Amino acid sequence: MSNPADTFRQEATDLLENLEENLLELESAPDNRQKIDVVFRALHTIKGSGEMFGFSELAKFVHHLENAYELVRSGESKVTQDLIDISLASQDHISALLDAGQEETVVAELVESDTHKSLLTRIGALSSVSAEADTGGGDAGGTATPEGGLKEYKILFKPEPSALRNGMRPDLVSTELEMLGEVTSRVIADHVPPLEEMDASACYLTWELILRSEVSRDRVDEIFLFFDDGDIQIEETSLEAPEAAPEAAPEPAEAAEAAGGKPKPKEKRADAAAKVESVRVQAHRLDELMDQLGELVIAQARLNRIAERVGDQALGSATEEIERLVTGMRDATLSIRMLPIAGVFGKFRRVVRDLSTELGKNVHLTTEGGETELDKNIIDRLSEPLVHIIRNAVDHGIEDSVTRKEAGKAPDATVNMIARQSGGEVHIEVRDDGGGLKTEAIRKRALERGLIEPGLEYSDEAIHQLIFAPGFSTAETISSVSGRGVGMDAVRNFIEDLRGAVEVKSETGKGTSVTLRLPLTLAIIDGLLVKIGTGEFVLPLASVEECVELADDETQHDRQRSIINIRDELVPYLNLREIFDFNREGAKLNRVVIVNAEGRRIGFMVDDVIGQHQTVIKSLSSYHRNVEGLAGCTILGDGSVALIIDPSALIKSFSSSIREAA
Amino acid sequence: MDTNPNEGEIETPSLHVVSEPEKTFMALTFDMDGERFAISVKNVQEVIDPLDMTLVPNADPFAPGLINVRGAVVPVLNLQHRLGVKESERTADTRFVVIEAIIDEDQTNFAIIADSVHEVFEVDEDEIHPAPALGMKWPPDYIIGIAQRNEQMIIFLDTESIFKPISYVQ
Repeated sequence: MSNPADTFRQEATDLLENLEENLLELESAPDNRQKIDVVFRALHTIKGSGEMFGFSELAKFVHHLENAYELVRSGESKVTQDLIDISLASQDHISALLDAGQEETVVAELVESDTHKSLLTRIGALSSVSAEADTGGGDAGGTATPEGGLKEYKILFKPEPSALRNGMRPDLVSTELEMLGEVTSRVIADHVPPLEEMDASACYLTWELILRSEVSRDRVDEIFLFFDDGDIQIEETSLEAPEAAPEAAPEPAEAAEAAGGKPKPKEKRADAAAKVESVRVQAHRLDELMDQLGELVIAQARLNRIAERVGDQALGSATEEIERLVTGMRDATLSIRMLPIAGVFGKFRRVVRDLSTELGKNVHLTTEGGETELDKNIIDRLSEPLVHIIRNAVDHGIEDSVTRKEAGKAPDATVNMIARQSGGEVHIEVRDDGGGLKTEAIRKRALERGLIEPGLEYSDEAIHQLIFAPGFSTAETISSVSGRGVGMDAVRNFIEDLRGAVEVKSETGKGTSVTLRLPLTLAIIDGLLVKIGTGEFVLPLASVEECVELADDETQHDRQRSIINIRDELVPYLNLREIFDFNREGAKLNRVVIVNAEGRRIGFMVDDVIGQHQTVIKSLSSYHRNVEGLAGCTILGDGSVALIIDPSALIKSFSSSIREAA
Repeated sequence: MDTNPNEGEIETPSLHVVSEPEKTFMALTFDMDGERFAISVKNVQEVIDPLDMTLVPNADPFAPGLINVRGAVVPVLNLQHRLGVKESERTADTRFVVIEAIIDEDQTNFAIIADSVHEVFEVDEDEIHPAPALGMKWPPDYIIGIAQRNEQMIIFLDTESIFKPISYVQ
């Protein structure tokens, strides 16, 4: 991360993502001034810092686009569909330039490409049309718009000693400032050390730059955006009292201090600092932290056992204290890894937009629950399966406009992405208002492929689940979008790798809904430790509702029925000892853990409930990954291995025995 | 003794390839049900005393359980089941051999149970003779061949196939 070019690349990637979102919003609200400003600022920052870090071709390209928005900002032109289209295409191109980085041959190839040229021509056309309309503005140099009176900025610019080594270019700063107005500069060499202590590659100089310009403080700040490491003090004095923007004038006290020439540390980019209260950390460092924490949790469980055995009160209370601290640390660490899902959702607005253009369908994407948080590692791996699902929805699910009209539906189709938390899981639903799954086509295809037995009755719901079978596709024509037969089974594999599950619901004529059920985290969960036969097992506490005792006579008499009566509610249960094929001898079997899975209450009969347990999830090797009903394993305080039960999967694979019972 | 006679070859392998191809390897021998088996030590991580095994319900009998080897969860493979030999009672000589191999493209550690672990010795590939097609009680897919050492028959197992999660022999 020490490489400033890499830092720029990351920042620019974020800015581009942001840009896309804002462009799409601007598309639906072209007169939103605030959005126009945001877009302009993003472009300006990318250009400015790109230039500074040697992405000069990128900067040049962005410059043209920035000009187009400058015109919009000054009111000389308007946001048009054309501008949005060009901007989105440009955004992709900028990404490509960013990826190419400083590899000159790749950059040159991109610059020579037709995309590059045609985009520039289109941008140029936009700018010149407006420029002709009003010759007053649109200087290619990025002339600033007057923003309230002439001001004098006194900038004390003291780069970090290592700044030059890291590729800082003071001359570029100066060039940028000169674009804004009249600049005079003075070098202060107070900090240059004696010759014998001098490091030839270090920067000891401080510049005092006086800028006279009408631009706002923001524009000046932007130039120094990437000098967080250095010391930058900007003082602003108004030379003529502007009537329009009184807030731009400094407060009297500040002005007095500025006049006294005393630098004010508080002044140092205070507004920017308030905005950026985050630290970038490389993902693998988070993973390391998480691994260490996992080991700590296991070691702590071991300590608990020892303390229990020793029975010393002082040791006991110290152990409890440590347990409390470890739990707190676990929650804090997990929360660092939690990200709102909105970031993923944002990407799909573009996907849907491009797909609907490509397929000639009018589709809108709406999202709900973007604030729902998920583990970063899961979020990172969600894009691909969601793209599959959305493509399927737009390509297969949503009918063409003629069919929609005949069906009496609104001409514009909607794809709705909804995220919500449910117990220890996050559910992401993608719902379209299209024609629904073609049940008969699936049934026919499934028969051809021998997935179902001819002559047997299958519910529509059961048929619908067959779309997750490997290589299953009913698309009659193969489009570039989908229909290659690697759709939903790939999605299912992706999600199962994340220890999640995927379901589909469909209603003919009304639409299809695909729901991904994902665990909140892949790392550590709260579990309930139970004993079954000779082994200890962990149930995720998030899905446990209650534990009940089963009267002995009830187990005797109702063994065939596998149903218990809890406060006048009949709850089916699974006998885990039986399911796990453990020896039945010596079984007490009198405790039932009631879990809530897939919206219903189901009991798991176990030998004993031991208690709550912080569970560090370790994944199973390929020897056991396919064993039904297991989510992973963990190490207990005594060093033994316990298996983690996935209640939903277990119920699913043994639901036949529940149904028989019910 | 300490200097490696092949050192020069390692530095300039191209000059010596023709003259001396690698023909020997180190093998670990262990007993199962009264027979002596061997695998290349290349993949062997360590030999440990038996640990308590957690049974995985409904698992393939070839991979019945899990053990904790210094904080890592390691599956235990039942080679006896795959080879069709009898499982012995545990004795004071019983050992777990921890092996590392690429399984389904993932680097995986697992353990096998041996009635006793014998020795590590250098074996020449020429000494290993193909197993006879007839009269073998072990599935041929899992066997490289058979060698004689000190009048003892040693069955060399094929590490490529014998640890695969899915059985070749139905």
